[in-house]
Amino acid sequence: MADAPTMVAANPARLQRGWRLFLFYTSAVLLTGVVSLLFADLLWRTGWSASRTLLLVLFTVLFLFIALGCMHGVYGFFLRMFGTPWRITVLSKYRDQDISGTSTAIVFPVYNENAVRVYEGLRATYESLQKTGQLERFDFFILSDSTNPDKQVEEERRWCDLVRELDALGRIYYRRRLANEGRKSGNVRDFLNAWGRRYRYFMVCDADSVMRGETLVDLVKLMEVHPTAGMIQTVPAVVNAESLFGRLQQFANRFYAPVFIAGLNYWALDQGNYWGHNAIIRTEPFMQFCDLPQLPGRKPFGGQILSHDFVEAALMLRENREVWFTYDLEGSYEETPQGIIENAQRERRWCQGNLQHGLVLFARGLRGVSRLHLLLGISGYLAGPLWLAFLLTATWIRWFQTYTGLSDIPPVHAYTRFLDFSGTAHALLVFIICMAVIMLPKALALVELAYDPERRRAFGGLERATLSVVAETFFSTLHAPLLMLWHTRFVIANLLGVSVGWSPQVRAADGTAWSYAVRRHWGHTLIGLVWGWFMWWLGPSLFWWFTPVLAGMVCSIPLSVFTSRRSMGARARKLGLFLTPEEIAPPPELVALRANMKVHELTADTTPRRPHAGLAEMVLDPYVNAIHVTLLREKQLNPVYAEQLAGLGVGTAQVRELGERLLVTGPDKLTFAERLLITSDAQTMVWLHHEAWLRPGESLAPWWRASIREFSQRDES
Amino acid sequence: MTGIGALTDASGHLAGRPLEEWNAAYEKVENYFHALRVRNKALLGLLVLRVLERAAARAPVEPTRSATQLAAEEMDRLVTEWFGEVLQASPVGSDQALSTRGRLALLLADMPGRWQGQFLRPGPWPEEFVSAMRESFLRAGPDFQLSKMTPRPLDLGPIATLTNLGRIPYLRMILAWTAFALLLIGIFWLTHGGFAKVMDWFMQFYR
Repeated sequence: MADAPTMVAANPARLQRGWRLFLFYTSAVLLTGVVSLLFADLLWRTGWSASRTLLLVLFTVLFLFIALGCMHGVYGFFLRMFGTPWRITVLSKYRDQDISGTSTAIVFPVYNENAVRVYEGLRATYESLQKTGQLERFDFFILSDSTNPDKQVEEERRWCDLVRELDALGRIYYRRRLANEGRKSGNVRDFLNAWGRRYRYFMVCDADSVMRGETLVDLVKLMEVHPTAGMIQTVPAVVNAESLFGRLQQFANRFYAPVFIAGLNYWALDQGNYWGHNAIIRTEPFMQFCDLPQLPGRKPFGGQILSHDFVEAALMLRENREVWFTYDLEGSYEETPQGIIENAQRERRWCQGNLQHGLVLFARGLRGVSRLHLLLGISGYLAGPLWLAFLLTATWIRWFQTYTGLSDIPPVHAYTRFLDFSGTAHALLVFIICMAVIMLPKALALVELAYDPERRRAFGGLERATLSVVAETFFSTLHAPLLMLWHTRFVIANLLGVSVGWSPQVRAADGTAWSYAVRRHWGHTLIGLVWGWFMWWLGPSLFWWFTPVLAGMVCSIPLSVFTSRRSMGARARKLGLFLTPEEIAPPPELVALRANMKVHELTADTTPRRPHAGLAEMVLDPYVNAIHVTLLREKQLNPVYAEQLAGLGVGTAQVRELGERLLVTGPDKLTFAERLLITSDAQTMVWLHHEAWLRPGESLAPWWRASIREFSQRDES
Repeated sequence: MTGIGALTDASGHLAGRPLEEWNAAYEKVENYFHALRVRNKALLGLLVLRVLERAAARAPVEPTRSATQLAAEEMDRLVTEWFGEVLQASPVGSDQALSTRGRLALLLADMPGRWQGQFLRPGPWPEEFVSAMRESFLRAGPDFQLSKMTPRPLDLGPIATLTNLGRIPYLRMILAWTAFALLLIGIFWLTHGGFAKVMDWFMQFYR
């Protein structure tokens, strides 16, 4: 590794954090306390009962969650309006820092991803970095965990093309593991075990990440001037959304996130968090301290830690390394799911990972701030079932009141009777406060926009931004009940150790297909209708209070379909809604990315691929076969991989026999493991290439003859 | 020009084989050169004919082999020999390393795009082409610097106690027996006046 950094910054952040934490969380608790008291008083009016106690407890917990969100917005707003020196980018002068002695690996862990998008994102990042003149300080790695042979072949072929096109031999590398043990964290660990010691820093990117070259260089400089920093997490801007849902999420991310993250940074300071990608990490302490232990017990809680990022940050902090957010560093991008259902799929994975953090929450030695990060992550998913429980309890109370014939007239005086509230006015006041607490950060983001001409322009003007906020709020009101139901299902399934089945997404030309939306949402619609009917039966007055929740459920199918459409996203854009800075003035990296993706879209071969097409290409294509075999031979140089290959049975006579069977009977007659063994054996792959082309067609399985014919025709086209 | 150069014989055969056989052989060789992205049709035709000539020369002395087999073998031999000459490497080797290296070199030197005219042509070749072929290499990663990350022990605190409960021997059996005992107690209590008490309590609880 390169020499030690030359500039060292003092870090007084730790002295600051204690009272900041106290102030921040006390604000949220105070607000929660006052409003909960008001709510308790409302319940007191109708006579106390056990169910009301439950309702009050649920209200208090839920209100605390939204109060914390609100405080992030409020604190963030003031910090952005009046500025703060407590940012890693202003704590020291880093711009002139020399990074000539550094080495940084930019890694892209991928798992059966869209290879075109991954490689074009890498290309955009690479070319942007090239323009900084600092390219030689960085190496790029595509760390594949792909199990689909079609994907494997495509990744290898496209890697070779990319390397040739960018003249980046020895700068962009490709490595595929034989078994994806430990998933993404295992993938990164495998990289570190093989090459980690070569690099002072490494930067993890997601399959959809794009980074500006200057930002990468800045991150390295920041690490250099802050030698105690273990991780620096950027705040990725969501970009490239086209569907209405995607653009709504993108707008929300770009418009509200800066305020929230500024608030988060207020209390976290040098004990921030890691979100798993678009972050730079100091390799040596990461390798030393952040390897994840297996959790005791059985799945879903025991075993491997799924959401590794939070825990890795906590382990880094445990060893007195700093973790910072750089929310003011632009040029870090990611993408978002384009539909409600795809978003829920992602939520399902994150839910399990976050709930698992419950096991780590009380681990000895972790810093209190780390526990807060973990707790906030968990609460994000527990809020759904708690909210549902709150609504069900409220329904139950109402039903019981109707069933027993009890009067609505308050039997006791209100605690706040001196305010001279009617019961309805009292309920309305609580409701308005709740809404205000939820809406305040959005309103503050608008106020900030009004005072910042540059930001105003970046979002298409105050008027359009205001309309966008209103429309986004309307949409999130409808979307929230769906998330509530989904989160409840995910949490319950995880607690019971049951896997939530999820069939592959069925997409129409322009988004989610109606049939798929019906399959995924019929339950939501039914719940909404039955619940709505029940509330109406109990009394129209309460029904109207529930309409925002019920409307989202009842309309879930059309909502899901229409918001997934690109045409709807384009229409909203034409109306000037949900504009973001990257849409109005796209940075060069994104322009290049979009242009290249468009070329791929227009030239893509859309003919359906035959089963095992990847295997056919791996064997028949002279170039793909050569690339694949070369990669396999190189793998043998790493003793760990060589051992794994030997463990699979590579190099034995059995593989050649399997190869013979493959030629004579075709791939369908072999198991997945057998095919994997064949494609992992370099000698057999060369032999297969030779035999498939040299043998007379009659001695090959019909599948091979068809593949050769198809292969030749494809090449002609 | 012993085979292809000669016209068909009186029986309509070419080098002693029916024309259909040569047609199949032609297709086989053409397909492979297609796969190597030799796009120029004139060149492609010439290269295929060159292979077929070699196959036709062998045909009379190897009557048991089909024209396709002979052509495929000649194509492989021709290509591998040419790789050996360009790369200055021996074509011997059971693992056909030269074939792999040669194909990779063709790709990295951009034969399909820049050097189609040089493919299978006897030397001398342009210096740029030769150096592009000989210097081409593909590296999936830099030199390994192996190490082994090992997780540090993480004391989970009170949670560990809970997770350790699962390790009690016969825990499930004990839990099942306990549940059964509780069920019996519950049935007894409910059938001895407990049910009425529950209903009373229930009504009071939710009032």
